[in-house]
Amino acid sequence: MLRFIIRRVLWLLLVLFVVLLITFILMHLVPGGPWDREKALAPKVIAALNQRYGLDKPLWQQFLNYIGGVLHGDLGVSYSQSDRTIVSLLAHGLPKTLTLGILAFVFAQAIGIPFGVAAALKQNSAIDYASVLFATLFASIPGFVLGILLMIVFSVTLHWLPTSGWGSIQQVIMPVFCLAALPAAQTARITRASTLDVMRQDYVRTARSKGILESNIRVRHIFRNSLIPVITIAGPMLADLVTGSFIIENLFAIPGVGRMFVQGIFARDYTLIMGGILFYAFTIAFLNLVVDILYGAIDPRIRYE
Amino acid sequence: MTAPANTVVAERPHHTLWGDAWVRLRRNKLAMAGGIFIILLALAAIFAPLLTPYTFAKQNYSAILQGPSWAHPMGTDQLGRDTFARLLYGARTSLAVGIFTQFIVICIGLPIGSIAGYAGGKVDNYLMRFVDVMYAFPDILLVILLRSVLGGSIFNIFLAIGLVAWVNIARLVRGQIMSLKSRDFITASRAMGGMGRHITWRHLLPNALGPVIVSITFNVPRAIFTEAALSYIGIGVQPPTPSWGTMIQDGFGLIFAKPYMLLFPAIALALLMLAFTFLGDGLRDALDPKLRR
Amino acid sequence: MKGKTVVFYLLTILMVASLIFGAACSTTTPTIATTAGAPSGEQTITLNLGTENNTIDPNRASWVSERTVIVQCFDGLLAFDNNLNLVPMVAKEIPTVANKGISADGLTYTIKLKNNVTWSDDTKVTAKDFAFSIKRLFDPSLAAEYESFYSNIVGGDAYYASADKTAAEQTALKDAIGVKALDDNTLEIKLTAALPTFLDLLALWPVYPIRQDMVDAHGENWAQPDVNGAMPYYIGNGPFIIKEWVQNDHYTLVPNPNYWGVKPILTKIVFKEIQDANTALAAYENNELDQSGVPGGTESATMADPNLKPQILRYPTLTTYGLRFNMTTAPFDNALVRQAISCAIDRQSYIDKVRGGVGQVALSWIPPGMPDYDASLGQDWAFNPTKAQQLLTQAGYPGGKGLPTIKFQYANTGTNPVLAAFLQDQMKTNLGVTITLEPYDSKALSALVNNKQYSWAIYGWGADYPDPDNWLPQLFMTGAGNNKQNYSNAQFDTLATAALKELDNTKRLKDWADAQKLLVADCPMVFLFYRQTFVLQKPWVKNMVTTGMDGTPGDTFLRNVYIIK
Repeated sequence: MLRFIIRRVLWLLLVLFVVLLITFILMHLVPGGPWDREKALAPKVIAALNQRYGLDKPLWQQFLNYIGGVLHGDLGVSYSQSDRTIVSLLAHGLPKTLTLGILAFVFAQAIGIPFGVAAALKQNSAIDYASVLFATLFASIPGFVLGILLMIVFSVTLHWLPTSGWGSIQQVIMPVFCLAALPAAQTARITRASTLDVMRQDYVRTARSKGILESNIRVRHIFRNSLIPVITIAGPMLADLVTGSFIIENLFAIPGVGRMFVQGIFARDYTLIMGGILFYAFTIAFLNLVVDILYGAIDPRIRYE
Repeated sequence: MTAPANTVVAERPHHTLWGDAWVRLRRNKLAMAGGIFIILLALAAIFAPLLTPYTFAKQNYSAILQGPSWAHPMGTDQLGRDTFARLLYGARTSLAVGIFTQFIVICIGLPIGSIAGYAGGKVDNYLMRFVDVMYAFPDILLVILLRSVLGGSIFNIFLAIGLVAWVNIARLVRGQIMSLKSRDFITASRAMGGMGRHITWRHLLPNALGPVIVSITFNVPRAIFTEAALSYIGIGVQPPTPSWGTMIQDGFGLIFAKPYMLLFPAIALALLMLAFTFLGDGLRDALDPKLRR
Repeated sequence: MKGKTVVFYLLTILMVASLIFGAACSTTTPTIATTAGAPSGEQTITLNLGTENNTIDPNRASWVSERTVIVQCFDGLLAFDNNLNLVPMVAKEIPTVANKGISADGLTYTIKLKNNVTWSDDTKVTAKDFAFSIKRLFDPSLAAEYESFYSNIVGGDAYYASADKTAAEQTALKDAIGVKALDDNTLEIKLTAALPTFLDLLALWPVYPIRQDMVDAHGENWAQPDVNGAMPYYIGNGPFIIKEWVQNDHYTLVPNPNYWGVKPILTKIVFKEIQDANTALAAYENNELDQSGVPGGTESATMADPNLKPQILRYPTLTTYGLRFNMTTAPFDNALVRQAISCAIDRQSYIDKVRGGVGQVALSWIPPGMPDYDASLGQDWAFNPTKAQQLLTQAGYPGGKGLPTIKFQYANTGTNPVLAAFLQDQMKTNLGVTITLEPYDSKALSALVNNKQYSWAIYGWGADYPDPDNWLPQLFMTGAGNNKQNYSNAQFDTLATAALKELDNTKRLKDWADAQKLLVADCPMVFLFYRQTFVLQKPWVKNMVTTGMDGTPGDTFLRNVYIIK
C-alpha cells in the first residue's frame, strides 16, 4: 500500500508539471497580453512593464524560471493585484473557496442521501415522485439563475439575507445552496437508484426470509451497500465543487480563488492563471488519490500492487 | 424440476440486446415523454420558419422590451426582436452544441478507451496517464482557456467543450471493456477462434456501449449548460446566432426590469434538461443487463 | 421605501436638482456647499467600486477605480472644481506668467505652497515631498503608466529609460531631472518645451505628494495592505485615511484626524467590489449600497418604476463613443464609403429607443462640457439614408454591390453586443450592406486594435483632463501613439503642433477647434454618442456633487457628502 501511495504521489508531480506546461502554452496562445489597453500604452511604458515582470525573456526561459520558482515555493507575483504574491493570494482565497465547496458537498450529501433512500424505500409514492421532481428541477437550472432568483426573494423582497460578500453565516447560505443544488439532486438520484438496486438483490431477500428485522436489514445490508456508488462519485464531486465555484463566487462577490482565476484569464495575469491551475490540478489529483486509497481500504476485492 | 407432461412450453422468441432494450424503454412513460419532447423540439427548431413569421434578427425599435402579447407571444428583447422566434432558432444552436460536442467526445473517447481497455499493458498505461493529465484540469476552466485560444465561432465552441469532455467517456469505455474482457462469452468466442478485432467489434463494444449511451444522454444537456456558463462570462456563441445560453445571459441582465426575458429561456432549458434526464434514466434501466428476463 | 412621504420626495428632488444643475455653487475643495438640512444619523456611505484595484500608489495608478480611492487620501498641488476649472489646493495660487509662477518662455514653473498643509501623521507637507514624487514617477523599476503624460519635464524620459544602466548612472539621471524644492514651500519644475496644459497635469494624481521616508523604509509595500488589511505606511494629506483594504473585498476609509483643510462630515466610507451588475442592484435594494448602477438596458424600466425614479442620478461624462475605421483597410480607405456609413446610422433611435434616452447623439469628437465642444459640427454626416445610399453609389458600390466583406469588431462586454446588433441591422436596412460581427474579450480586442489588425471597431475615449490636448493629438496626429486608425492629415498636424505649444490660450483653443473641424470633415470615425452616467442613489445621501471626470459618481467631491437619516 505504501509503495502504491509513493508511486501515485510521484506520478502526481509529473502530472502537475505537464498540466503547467500545457497551461503555459495555451495561455500564451490566447491573443492579447496583460498590457493591452483601450488607451494604448506608449511602447516605452510597455517595455518597462515587461522588464519589470520578466516578460521580456524568451518563453522557454520564462517557463523554466517559473518551474524553478515553484520548486522553491515561489509562485510569482500578480500583475493585476498590486504585486501580491500568488501564494498570498491563494492563501487568502483558498479558505473561502474550500469552505464554500466543502459546505456545499456536506449539504448535498445531507440532503441527497436521505431523500434518495426515502424515495427508494417508498417507491412510487408521493415522496418518491416529489423527490425526483425536485431533484431534477434543481438540476435543470443554471447556478447563476438560481442565485439571482434566491437573491431577489431573500434579499430584495424579504430582506432576510445580505446579497453578497463573505464572512457571516447569512452570507454563506445562498451561495452554498446554489452550489449544492445540482450535486444534491445527483446524489439523491444515484442513492435512489442504487438503493433500489440493492433492495432487489438476492442477499436481501435471503435476509428477509431468514426473519431478520426489516430495520436491521436496512441498516446492515441496504444502506451500506447502496452507498458504494455514492462514495465513488463523492471524490470527483467534491473536486468539482471546489474547482467549479467561480460563477457563484462572481455572482455573490465572494473573494475566492475561482473568481480570481477567471479574472486572471481576462486580465492575462499569467502568474495568477498558472497559480490557479496548479491549485486546482493539485486539488483534483489529491482528492482522487484519497478516494482511491479509501476505496482500497473499504472494498476488500480491490487490491493494489 | 421438469414441467408436467401436459403443459405447453412456449417457444421463446429470439431477443437481441437492443430489441429487449427498446421494449423496456417503450414501457417507461417518463422516458418516452422525454424522448418525444426532444424530438418535437428538434423538429420545431428545424421548421422554425414555419412556426413564426419573425426571423431571429429582425429588429423593431417601436416594440422594445415588450411583454407577451398576441403579436409577440413571448415578448420582445432590447432591439425589438421576437423572443419566441429567437427561442426556436436558438434551439438549433443549443441542440447543435449538445449533439456535436458528443460527436467529438465519441470520436476521441471511444477509440482511446477501447484500445486502452482491450490492449491492456503498456498501451493502457500510457493512454491512461495521458487521460490523467487531462483529468487534472478543472473542466470549465480548461474550456475557457481553449475557447479563448480558438475563438468564438460555433465550431470552436464544439471543439472547446468536446476536447474536455471526452475524458469521462474514455474512462467509462475502458472500464467496461476491461470488465467484459474476462467474461465467459469472450473466452468462449476466443476458444472458438475469434480474432481480436472481431471480438472487439462484435462482442465487447456492443455490450460496453450501454453505459456510454446513457452517459452521452446526460452529457448533452451538460454541454448546453456549459455553453450557458460561457455566455455568462461573456465568451459564448458569437452573434447574431441566438442560443439559449446567450438568451439566458441577456435575460439575466434584465431580470430586474423584465423578468420574463430570463424565465422563458430558463424554463425551456429546464424542460430540455428534464427530458434528457428522464430519457437517460430510461435508457439506463432499459440497457441494464441485470434486468434482462 | 416604506413610510417616506411625498413631501420628502419633493424636497429630495429639489435638493438633488439644485445641487447638480445649480450654476451658482462652484465647489472649491475643501469647503462645503451648504444645503437645507443638517446631518443626522450615522454618517457612513457605502459605494461600489465594481472591481479590484491593482495599486493605489499614486505614481503607479492608472485605473479609474484606483483614482477613486486615491483622491480621498491625497490632495495635489492643483485640483479641478465641479465646473472643471483649475483651482489651487496645496499650491497657494495658480501659477501664471503674471505672478511669476510661470516663466515668460513657459519653461520654468515656480509654485508656492501653502504653509499649513500637513500629512495625516501631523508632519508638514513640503515641496520636497512633491519633488520626490515627481522624480519617482520616472523611476524605471516602477514602470508607471502615466509617465508619458509628463515627458516634457527635463530629464524625465532619460531616467525612465535607464533600466539597464548602472546604479550610479541611474542616480545621476535621477538627480538631473528638472524638479527641485527651492525651499520648504517652493517647488520648481523645468520643462523641455512649453506645454500650456501643464497645469492640468499638475492636478492629476500621478504627481500627488508622497512620503519619501515611507518609500525608503518599505519600498512598494508602503501602498500595500498587511495581512490584516491595515495600511500603516499609506500616509496621505487628504481628508481620509485608509483603515483597511481587504483585498478583493472592500476598502474602509475613515476621516484623517490631522486634516489641514475642512474636515469631512462622513465618518466612514466603504468601497465594495461587487462585479455583477445584478448583484449590485440587489445590494442597493437591500440597503447594502448607497449607490448603484443599473444593468444595461434597464434604464427605461428604472425610469418607469415609481419607487426608483426619484433616486436616479444622471449626468453627462466626458466620454465619447465612436466606431473607429482602420483607414488603411479596404473599403475604409475610401472617404465616400466612410461618409456613407456615417449617414446610414440612426443614432437618435439608438439613444432614445434602445438606451432609453440616456446619452446624447455625437457628430463630433469633443464632448459637451469641454472647451471647444461644437454642437454645429458634423451635420454633413448625420443620419440621412438617402444621402448614405448616394454616397455609396458615388464611391463605386451602388446598392452595396462589390463591397468587400465588412467585419466589425468589439469587446463582448456591457452594452456592446446590443450596439453591434443594432449596427448590423442599420447597415442592412439603410445601405443594404451585410456586415459580420466579431466579438472579442477586452484584452484580445485591445491587442488587435493596438497592432492595427482590426478593420472597424467600437471605441470609447474618456478624458484624463478636460482639455482638447488630451483628446486630439494622441489620437489623430500622424504616427501618434493612439492613432490606430492611421489617420493622417498634414494640415491637422500643423495646427496640432502649433496648439501644443501655444501659450496664448484663446489662440490655442481656436487652433484646436479648427483642427477638430478638419477631423470631422474627414470622417475617420462614425461618431456615435456622448455617454451619460445613470445610477441610483439613496435619498439620504446629501450634497453629492458629480463631475464629468468622476469614476464612481461623486468620488471627486465625496469629502463634501453627508447623510440625513
